[in-house]
Amino acid sequence: MSLQKFIEDFEEAVEDIEPNSLTAATNFKALEAWDSLAVLTVTDVIDMEYAVLLKKKDFDCARTVEELYDLVTQVR
Amino acid sequence: MPSLEKCIDDEVDLFGGNEKQIARLKKTIGLDRRRVVEPGTTAADLCETAARRLMVAMDLQPTHIDTVICVTQTPDYSQPCNAAVLHGRLDLPKSCAALDVNLGCSGYVYGLWLAHMMVSAGGCERVLLLAGDTISQIVNPKDRALAPLFGDGGSATLVQRSEAQAQAWFSLQTDGKGFDRLIVPAGGQRAPSSRETQAEVVDDAGNVRSAENLFMDGAEIFNFSIVEEPKAVRDLADYAEVELDAVDYFVFHQANRYILSNIAKRLKIDPSKVPMQTVERYGNQSSASIPSALCGELGEQLCSPGTRRVLLSGFGVGLSWASVLLDLSQLSVCEIVDCTTSD
Repeated sequence: MSLQKFIEDFEEAVEDIEPNSLTAATNFKALEAWDSLAVLTVTDVIDMEYAVLLKKKDFDCARTVEELYDLVTQVR
Repeated sequence: MPSLEKCIDDEVDLFGGNEKQIARLKKTIGLDRRRVVEPGTTAADLCETAARRLMVAMDLQPTHIDTVICVTQTPDYSQPCNAAVLHGRLDLPKSCAALDVNLGCSGYVYGLWLAHMMVSAGGCERVLLLAGDTISQIVNPKDRALAPLFGDGGSATLVQRSEAQAQAWFSLQTDGKGFDRLIVPAGGQRAPSSRETQAEVVDDAGNVRSAENLFMDGAEIFNFSIVEEPKAVRDLADYAEVELDAVDYFVFHQANRYILSNIAKRLKIDPSKVPMQTVERYGNQSSASIPSALCGELGEQLCSPGTRRVLLSGFGVGLSWASVLLDLSQLSVCEIVDCTTSD
């Protein structure tokens, strides 16, 4: 499991994000495209790719893409 | 179903002019059109229209019906039950049993299970199963998370004894710990109606609702759907000793296209076997969504000669989920009719 692939998966999951625009330090909740729909699509991709089903509180706890990645890694 | 159609494209104001958000919802979730009742029309009215059409098509007299079951979470009254009200409107005999089932998304399959058992046990010859809801009337029109999702509908199904040998396998499950994930929090006995419960509140996402409007935790309901539904379908197929490849159609509760395609993907089943257009045309019709898909997308197939192996599965409010695998031989009637306010 690599952080770079996680960032790519995250980017692909959310509509209206420019390719290669996200970094590990991106505050994903500040993105214009971050809404309740993005929560569903990111949840889905992470579950399919990493077999980790995130809950809303997980998104609440993480601020950056890397923090979300760390959380997924810990659960795995 | 009601003839009044609403379209998310016409609701730009609801989304604060954010056309990009509407486009995302259409593309990803599959939101498009829905049918909603006009004031004064209820689920009972929709079910009555369906029942009368069914009775004419089947040349069914009121005296032929032993039991009427009404599945609804939007009854005309807290009491008496909708089934009793409709019993009167349909002139059913006093010997006919009448009861409501207070379930939504899983309710149609629960209703089929009850009707199936009543006929199988020998107590009934014919059970009239009515399933319908007007969820649009309990959603706040300023709730942009929910208002574009839900449509209204009513259905009538006849379950009757026949000489044909047919098996059906049912699975019914509940997780009451999730009761508050999809709920109308106030207006019942737990939190009676008051000025406070009727006061509208704006949530963090800008959705407006009161405690007497429907609330849904979308993320939790999504997680529940993609975890429990595939498992329920696989377990039922195993129990029936049937391969998923041998099922002709998988008719899921029409929650939204994203959830349906996700479930199909996780089950690795052919998407062409999974009706998904019903929700895009008519919205999430709660207990009426499965019969709506049967009559609409599959109506022609189900009324043509032959037997089809069909899996029906409803999931949602409760949390409750129910599935049935059955062989459906040619149906006599399977159609959608419009219910105008003059009906």
